[in-house]
Amino acid sequence: MAAVLEATGLGKRYGRRRWALRELDLAVEEGSITALVGPNGSGKSTLLKAWIGFERPTAGSLRIHGVDPVRNRAAAIRLTGYVPQAPSLYRELSVDDHLAFAAQHRRGFDRDLARGYLDDLDIPLDSRADELSGGQQAQVGLALALGTRAPVLLLDEPLASLDPLARREFLHVLVDAVRASGATALLSSHVITDIEQACDSLIVLGGGRSLLAVSIAEAIAGHRIVDRDEPRPIGAEAIGSFPSATGERLTLVRGSVGRAATLEEVVIGHLAAGRPERPARASRKAAA
Amino acid sequence: MMRDSIRLTFLMHRFELIAITIFTVVLVVAAYYVAGQLDAVGYGPCATATSPSANCEVLGQRFYSIDSSQASPVMALIAILPYVAGLFLGAPIVARELERGTTRLAWSLEPSRVRWYIARTLPVLVVVVVLAFAAGVAADRLYAARSPGLDMANAFDGYGYRGGLIAVQALVIAAGALGLGAVTGRVLPTVILALLIGAIGIAAVGKVHERFTQGEAIYVDGEQYLAGSRYVDQFFRLPNGTLADWRQLEIIAPEAFYSDTGPSYPIVNLVVPGNLYRFVEAREAAGLGGIAAIMLVGAGVIVQRRRPG
Repeated sequence: MAAVLEATGLGKRYGRRRWALRELDLAVEEGSITALVGPNGSGKSTLLKAWIGFERPTAGSLRIHGVDPVRNRAAAIRLTGYVPQAPSLYRELSVDDHLAFAAQHRRGFDRDLARGYLDDLDIPLDSRADELSGGQQAQVGLALALGTRAPVLLLDEPLASLDPLARREFLHVLVDAVRASGATALLSSHVITDIEQACDSLIVLGGGRSLLAVSIAEAIAGHRIVDRDEPRPIGAEAIGSFPSATGERLTLVRGSVGRAATLEEVVIGHLAAGRPERPARASRKAAA
Repeated sequence: MMRDSIRLTFLMHRFELIAITIFTVVLVVAAYYVAGQLDAVGYGPCATATSPSANCEVLGQRFYSIDSSQASPVMALIAILPYVAGLFLGAPIVARELERGTTRLAWSLEPSRVRWYIARTLPVLVVVVVLAFAAGVAADRLYAARSPGLDMANAFDGYGYRGGLIAVQALVIAAGALGLGAVTGRVLPTVILALLIGAIGIAAVGKVHERFTQGEAIYVDGEQYLAGSRYVDQFFRLPNGTLADWRQLEIIAPEAFYSDTGPSYPIVNLVVPGNLYRFVEAREAAGLGGIAAIMLVGAGVIVQRRRPG
């Protein structure tokens, strides 16, 4: 499979010191739905914006279907359907006006296709954007991106403000559309349970760097969880430790020992590994 | 497609467009109404007659009463129209999109930001110019009624507050507000900044142009009143035939300067003749139009380069 989205040695610095992305190497395969996960400030939005030409990298290079978005932003945009982080609809316009707006600005915009998605979700076309729920606004944003019939879809945390049902509906529309069109989708999100069902691949970003980039199946099969207090099993490579919901210390390991890890544990384990080490509370107390 | 584009742009600015249009229409109607009132008094022949008739005093009182109570407020409102229209229609074009984040949607759909910029700005700027021009024409009519016997096409009376110059002033304010909005990405700071910078800018251009215009001024005897001419400066003709301004007179002949009983010298005025009005107006309009064009191009460059907010 060819890589549709590529980043090589990518760095993005804001101001003089703060690096949002650093020495990032990534490749997203054609036809895949890839989840981009990471904590706030890990550079997810910056990365997506860089691919669509909204941010200029400080270092390294980017390619989208072989096009450098820095040098040829117009071509990069023509290849991309983008769903921004917050619904960015015009509150004065109706849903149908948004479709007209998209048709006016994007050559080849498939108004009927977008209208079909919205009809299926019972989103009234004559409603003004500010009369829609958050979930409906997100669906309009997705319908606009899908209507472009772009070969690449970049979705910047579209699920963040949606309730579980709206998230499920959103992902259902996305997955169906991507599978039908053969497009490539890169979806940044915090909601790992939804990602597991919708995505093929996973990229974990932390501190502006790629901590993990594998298929979802590999991520789950290749990791195990052991109790941190247990002696480390032979042949297990410890990745990162983190507390469970009930307070036990868990360690994510590579190998065959321990119990099966959930996708959420894989992600958290890698994020914990990518975070600078902090003294544990007990040792801080002892030090005090 | 074009009609769709204009319709959508107008929908996005529905509130400002309706408000400014109503404001302008009310002013235009008021200007024509007051002009009609002034004409109806019939004071015109009195103003131009060498020996006014007996009832001219009564007519004059009525005329100037309408002039001060009705015409002056209407003219004052027309004078602020370029600022109101320019600021409230120009500032939100880009700033509000950046503030609300709709540029993220628009710029991800439209490969050419220049095309987006033109589609968004052109219809609004056309409305700004058309509304301000209508107000300028109405102000012309009102000034003509306020100045009986004066040919307004050849008179500097009310210069800068009537005619096509109002439309260009509105355009330059709108262009400046648009450019500032593209930089700040916020509507309210843009309106405040544009008001300050626009007022200073227009005054500065007016001053520069006035200096430029002095080259076309001629000297006329103080007693020779040239109706519609633009007063530039005043001088005194000294016995040796040379001209001295007030400051020079204070040094040369302090007794004339400080005393009512001292020698008096004939006054000579430096004026731009009224028949140059159209030419001077067109030249200032061209200057302001050029500044507006530069600002619009500058705003386009900012739009092309900046983040979508």
